[in-house]
Amino acid sequence: MLSFIRKRAFASLISLIGLLVMVFFLSRLTGDPASLFLPVEASAEMKAEFRALHGLDQPLLVQFGQYVGNVLTGDLGESLRKARPALDVVLEAFVWTLWLAVITMTLVTVCAIVVGSLAAFRTGGFFDRFSSMVSLIGASVPDFWLAIVAIVVFAIQLSWLPTSGTGSLAHWILPICVLFVRPFGIIVQVVRGSMISALSSAYVKTARAKGVKSGPIIFVHALRNAMLPVITVIGDQAASLLNGAVVIETIFGFPGVGKLMIDSILQRDFNVVLAAILVTAFAIFLMNLVIDLAYALLDPRIRY
Amino acid sequence: MTMAIQSTHTPKEKVAEEPSAIVRMARMLWADKFALCAAIFLIFVIVMAIVGPAWLNELATKQNLRGRNLAPFDFSREWFMWLGADALGRPLWPRIIVATQNTMMVAAGAVVISAIVGTLLGLIAGFASERTSQVIMRLADVIMSFPSLLVAVIVLYILGSSILNLMLVLSITRIPVYLRTTRAEVMEIKSRMFVQAARVMGASSKRILFRHILPVVLPTLTTLMTLDFAYVMLAESALSFLGIGIQPPEITWGLMISQGRQYLTNAWWLSFWPGLAIILTTLSLNLLSNWLRIALDPVQRWRLEMKGPKHG
Amino acid sequence: MKTSHLFGALLGSVLALGSGVAPAYAASSDIKIVLPEEADLLEPCMATRSNIGRVIMENVSETLTELDVRTKKGVMPRLAEKWEQNADGSWRFHLRQGVKFSDGKTFGAKDVKYSFDRIFSDKNICESRRYFGGMKFDVNVVDENTIDFKVDPVQPILPLLLSLVTIVPEGTPLEFVREPIGTGPYKLTNWTPGQQIVLDARDDYWGTKPAVTKATYLFRSDPAVRAAMVQAGEADLAPSISQVEATNDKTDFSYLDSETVYLRIDGNIAPLNDVRVRKALNLAIDRQAFIGTLVPQDAVLATALVPPTTLGWNPDVKVPAFDPDQAKKLLEEAKAAGVPVDTPITVVARTANFPNVTEIMEAIQAQLQDVGFKIDLKFVEVAEHEVYYSKPFKEGRGPTIVAAMHDNSKGDPSFTMFFKYHTNGTQSGYSDPKVDDLIARASAATGDERAKLWSELIAYVHDDLVADVALFHMVGYSRVSERLDFKPSIATNSMLQLSEIGIKN
Repeated sequence: MLSFIRKRAFASLISLIGLLVMVFFLSRLTGDPASLFLPVEASAEMKAEFRALHGLDQPLLVQFGQYVGNVLTGDLGESLRKARPALDVVLEAFVWTLWLAVITMTLVTVCAIVVGSLAAFRTGGFFDRFSSMVSLIGASVPDFWLAIVAIVVFAIQLSWLPTSGTGSLAHWILPICVLFVRPFGIIVQVVRGSMISALSSAYVKTARAKGVKSGPIIFVHALRNAMLPVITVIGDQAASLLNGAVVIETIFGFPGVGKLMIDSILQRDFNVVLAAILVTAFAIFLMNLVIDLAYALLDPRIRY
Repeated sequence: MTMAIQSTHTPKEKVAEEPSAIVRMARMLWADKFALCAAIFLIFVIVMAIVGPAWLNELATKQNLRGRNLAPFDFSREWFMWLGADALGRPLWPRIIVATQNTMMVAAGAVVISAIVGTLLGLIAGFASERTSQVIMRLADVIMSFPSLLVAVIVLYILGSSILNLMLVLSITRIPVYLRTTRAEVMEIKSRMFVQAARVMGASSKRILFRHILPVVLPTLTTLMTLDFAYVMLAESALSFLGIGIQPPEITWGLMISQGRQYLTNAWWLSFWPGLAIILTTLSLNLLSNWLRIALDPVQRWRLEMKGPKHG
Repeated sequence: MKTSHLFGALLGSVLALGSGVAPAYAASSDIKIVLPEEADLLEPCMATRSNIGRVIMENVSETLTELDVRTKKGVMPRLAEKWEQNADGSWRFHLRQGVKFSDGKTFGAKDVKYSFDRIFSDKNICESRRYFGGMKFDVNVVDENTIDFKVDPVQPILPLLLSLVTIVPEGTPLEFVREPIGTGPYKLTNWTPGQQIVLDARDDYWGTKPAVTKATYLFRSDPAVRAAMVQAGEADLAPSISQVEATNDKTDFSYLDSETVYLRIDGNIAPLNDVRVRKALNLAIDRQAFIGTLVPQDAVLATALVPPTTLGWNPDVKVPAFDPDQAKKLLEEAKAAGVPVDTPITVVARTANFPNVTEIMEAIQAQLQDVGFKIDLKFVEVAEHEVYYSKPFKEGRGPTIVAAMHDNSKGDPSFTMFFKYHTNGTQSGYSDPKVDDLIARASAATGDERAKLWSELIAYVHDDLVADVALFHMVGYSRVSERLDFKPSIATNSMLQLSEIGIKN
């Protein structure tokens, strides 16, 4: 197990480096931050000075060399726009996103597994039809639409909750509820699908034939087998949340990493983009590691 | 083939007992009314995607600044005004139909590309040597942690905004989920009895892959694909919301929703109808895929056959 | 250190999670303002950028002079009490005495000189430097409260230009700072990036004490949410909300916001190098049809890139009539003369540049196509828009029109004309000797002569050169809580003086 983790850590390091190299060069192909930082009336000389000040006038390879050198000493550079270390900016935002993702995914996972397996247990029954319908509609509603409607209803009409922002527990409720809907819809369907397969598979039948009458035992057995694809999809959804729930963060004024990322991408604040990717990628690698371990845990036949 | 030969040579009652595959499928579809509606709706959508732009493009782009945000359900107007009009007075009904083509192309294109590429890589990763598998999985890690928005900005900035490029962006970002799902299933199935038996009996890897493993993986992948369909349509809408997706004068359902967003409080229909189109399409796809899963599963097929018409 | 930082933030969020609903109402002279875009810096020398200026300009960091836009009295004293032009064209400013920075230091001529030196330092890239392109400054401290500006070439509008330069205390780091020190009525007391900025009134301010004692700035990019926040009592002032949301006449006010929407024509490329084609473009657009539909009712049809409140704005220049037949005729004439009018013209617009930009541009496209133009409409994000809008233009480009918005709330066309029309202007699509000459002469002139020359230029550019398609002077909408006494002005786009806000009882 330990050697597996060590191997994975090494492999992840390689992917992380690959990711950084790609992002570094590709993002620099997308335009000049000088003309975005300065107003359109700024002279060519001012733009040149801006580039010189931030080392953007150097050949790309030189810039890359410098960046790598700095990263090795733990310095991810300064934000071009905020005049402060990129890593600080990103960590501040990432904490918010992490909380949002963890809370949402925990709720989603629990609810989706319960609802999905209940639906699978009586395929075609009322609960199955109903929960499928609700979860599918949930999975296909645009989140910004839902967010604005939620604000209008709960914050303005009913005045139960604050419209947006941060500061108290109540501020978290709307973003989490809106964020909950889509992954819930998707995961319910996946749980249901793979539970149906698992329940009709040979060994459950065998167990039934052997006279295991008790529902829960069969249920647990099937669930355990059904979890593999479910975990993958949960991982996929969690990864996209860790990358930031851009739309939700934008509407609710939530200071997460998704909004930071899109702003930095649009403003070509390269150091922040790189730092944000580094931090989120690190989190996602960790999560993938956990997922792989979970596979092994759930299915003893998978060995690493 | 065999079926055809049989039917010419066997007595009539035998034919009634074992109808052709198509008839059997049709009966099973008839048995599930939800799936039937879904199938009809999807056929309608596909037809509209093909003929829509040629048929209604003129109507859908005709502006009328005096008829801005016209409310729906005014049946005294022409049929194409029944769903209301958008901020430029263009009728929504034809616009939704015309947008079907782009929407379907982006969604189907992205889903199919990512599913094929992801599944193939997943099968390889599950089957090939440790080293190859590792390389593929790390690649998946890279893609998974590459923010899709950045992919979008990079591709659209360098290659320009077009339906094809958008398809590319969305499919790249969806590859890892198929890859990981397939690999996980392969790893699990590989260790099951029947595969090990086949292997002992000397079946080739290829045969095991396509005969034994793919059929087992397929149901999960189908579920994922149908769900991704909605996901991709919405991702495209979110990109438009952030200003980096499809740009007018092209139209997609996603773009229509994001354009109608600012009128949510006083002209809900602008984003409601295209949203409904997305929801109905997703629902239909899902109902149909659930039906298909049962219809194709020899163990469960009886559920549908029992409910079918007694005889016709 | 990094880990401790992360830890602190984690702890902070846990506490925030546990703290329950915060009290919604605070003392009545505390106000909350919700802005569309967060300030990424609070650097005084960047205060001319609106997202920064709205927070600190004249609130934290003051200038020597300020432009009065409410009562139209022109350039008014702020940190300078009076000024005069010397015989050699240089300017002498007499500074206000007894002014203290928020760090306790006394304000004096040396700080003014230092602020200027800082702007031109190569350790930073201050935005305000752009107003002084091509000028050589010689700043001389005469005594503690007197300072001379000798500028080459002589600047008749120097007092106006000085309303754009914020004064920092001597010794401020040359690199960008995040905690501005200024002489203004407020000081920065809290800045939690991504969440809020808090300004508190100072006790030792030199001027009248403002009614607002504390201002908290919040940031939401969605206009519907900003409007909702004022309605729900979570904010008191939303300086910009969308037209669609502005439905309550008790709280929602429109104001001419100094932004002018126009189509920039690149007059170097055929067929746009032909004046008939450019005239046809102007005649084909039904500007009036936009008013009250896609463009707010109070918007004004533009004949120049500067709003009517600007010096030298020319009332005799008329909005081109909507005349599609005449446009068609002009196009035919041009075609007969061998102008390639069938070449597709690319119209580039920026997503979310101004409200309804997609709809407006789609409608314009349709109107231009109606008279026979071939128009490819292309929406791009801000970075790409820049590439089309500003020089150097791409070699081998096709005929291109750029839809853009220009902001000049400063009362003088010099902030516009050089950039948009001069041969060396960064967004200029023309090289016309008469334009260049008029700009040079107007920039050097003063008083009525200056106004006359600008008027002449505006008429020439619009009627003879037909340089571009001027469309609308836009209006903004703001939502003001009923407990505040505040009317937005043309300057609200770039600054928001808290001292102008009153509290009703």
